[in-house]
Amino acid sequence: MEHESTLSDALLRQLIAVGQVDILVGLPTMNNASTIVDVLRAVHLSFTRDFPRLRTVMINSDGGSTDGTQDLVRSASFLESEMVQTSHPLRTLHRVMAPYHGLPGKHTALRAIFAASELTQAKVVAVIDPSGPATTAERVTELIAIIAESKVEFLTPRYRRHPRDGVLITQLVRPLVRTLYAIGLDEPLGGEFGCSGRFASHCLEQEIWNYESARFAIDLWLRTEAATQRFSVGQIWRPASSPAPGRATLRDVIHQVVLSLVESMRAHESFWLTANHFTELPTWGNDPVAASDPAPWDFQSLAEQARHDITEITPLLREVLEPTVGAGVVAITNGSKPRFDDELWVRTVYGFAAAIRHGRVSLDHLADMFAPVYMWRAAAFMSQTVREKPATVQKRLDSLCDTFQRLKPALVASWSDETVRSR
Amino acid sequence: MIQEIADALAQSWHNFATAFVLFVPRLVAATIIFGVGFLVALVARRVIQRGLTWLQFDRLSMRSGASEMLRTADMPAAEVLIAKIIFWIVWLGFMVSAVDTLQFGPFRGLVEEFFRLVPRFLVALLVLVLGFLFANFLWRATLLASVNAGLPGARLLSGSLRVLVIALGVVMALEQIGLATSVVLTAFAITFGALMLGLAIAFGLGGREAARELLEEQLRSKKERNSDPAPHL
Repeated sequence: MEHESTLSDALLRQLIAVGQVDILVGLPTMNNASTIVDVLRAVHLSFTRDFPRLRTVMINSDGGSTDGTQDLVRSASFLESEMVQTSHPLRTLHRVMAPYHGLPGKHTALRAIFAASELTQAKVVAVIDPSGPATTAERVTELIAIIAESKVEFLTPRYRRHPRDGVLITQLVRPLVRTLYAIGLDEPLGGEFGCSGRFASHCLEQEIWNYESARFAIDLWLRTEAATQRFSVGQIWRPASSPAPGRATLRDVIHQVVLSLVESMRAHESFWLTANHFTELPTWGNDPVAASDPAPWDFQSLAEQARHDITEITPLLREVLEPTVGAGVVAITNGSKPRFDDELWVRTVYGFAAAIRHGRVSLDHLADMFAPVYMWRAAAFMSQTVREKPATVQKRLDSLCDTFQRLKPALVASWSDETVRSR
Repeated sequence: MIQEIADALAQSWHNFATAFVLFVPRLVAATIIFGVGFLVALVARRVIQRGLTWLQFDRLSMRSGASEMLRTADMPAAEVLIAKIIFWIVWLGFMVSAVDTLQFGPFRGLVEEFFRLVPRFLVALLVLVLGFLFANFLWRATLLASVNAGLPGARLLSGSLRVLVIALGVVMALEQIGLATSVVLTAFAITFGALMLGLAIAFGLGGREAARELLEEQLRSKKERNSDPAPHL
């Protein structure tokens, strides 16, 4: 059994004491003292108010927090008077602490949660990101109820964003994932999701957990694994929120996103190489329709950094990209204003993918090389759309997705071509 | 007197005839060795070139930076070059054997010398390839790390490192085949020492202000370069 090696003896004993459950909520934490109590309260209220007849367990898988998160989880007690309850729990509410061992990172926490789900034979698994947007009992309930009541086996949040918001998502991750996997997935990254116990057990059997790259890649991998293995995938509207401040810089994040995309592409290549029939995903919840304006940021400074860095790494770009693409990227950085047309951008992204596939340069180096190219594209997009209406910007995003789709055969050809020689 | 001259001529003719009779088979053997050697070397070149192509040796040479350097020097691709080198080593081996068959005094022991040199030459070649490989990796890693850290002169820094490592590889390779060992080593030591001393003096005396400004600029720009990823996610 997969969980035997994943769970500690103490945790196994606790879970055996819990027995079978219907709903398992996992909270992977790492220094989330500022938000964890609110999240616990929301989950507790959801259990007691909305699922009083079901057997529930909440598992906190902590990666070694040093800010007292574990103490807060252990000591949190919610009096009924503190909450607005419409009903009382008919069953014991279990709360299990599961400090994980093994490779540090969120994937290890998720593995422990999935192993616990398999052991307790949970029918529904919901994973809440304590560092994510404010969690309410309603949000937890929605996540659980849809999995429990519909045929969908993987449910992922969808945000109504301003089209100029989340440039890394809109310019790279979303169009690439939609193109590769031919599914209308809006937010391929993100820590929150709901899934069936069957999907959790399926994931446990995969190899991904042993890879170092899973530390960054697990969120994207879960979504693409669900899509490629024919699990029914759905989305749920969530209010947009700013990501929690972290210690990672933009370059770190780009690096991690590139590693995630590559890991998923490698893991599911047999699927995406032939995936052409596009599928829209069913969406639950209410579309907020209006999105707030994105917070302003200094894209001019980003453009200057990118220009400088691209000039410096020109020989490397020429080494890994097709001559016309490499020359094109270098040429556009000579202009006074940042410009990067869609077709060249998509060809550059596909060029990097092909370079990774054919091992022209190490993956870490390629991810580092990609950072300034993305920064230039992000600055170009922001500069170009600075005075445009949201609807016009949205058209640009749709057009970008079309370009990714139109040029996919070129990526498939270069990825599949075993005879490709490094120049 | 005439008789003596005739005897001398006869003796000389006899010696010549004897030597000729002895030499002709050797010459024929040497010619055969020479010809067969050429054919064997030709076959070896073809086999090596195809084998390297099959093993995708061009990728390795590209990664090591050797391809770029060969292109700049207007030389053939790495696998072609290696096949040519093998061709000449094999054919030279046969040529040396052929010359040895002729048993010319000045060329005695040539075969032993040749076969002593070949392994050293191959090791030198390996050292050179590894040197290129390491130099290129170091160049790429340094360039990317410097660019990411916002260091000025990233290309100069990484390029210098690359040249230094390649130079070190060349010196080690030359030392391996024993070619002008002392001259090469001395020249390298003097050049390297002078370069380092020059840099130290230039930086220490002439560049104090520049160094201070550089460090201050670094600290100032560090915050700017570590952009917040929030608007991108």
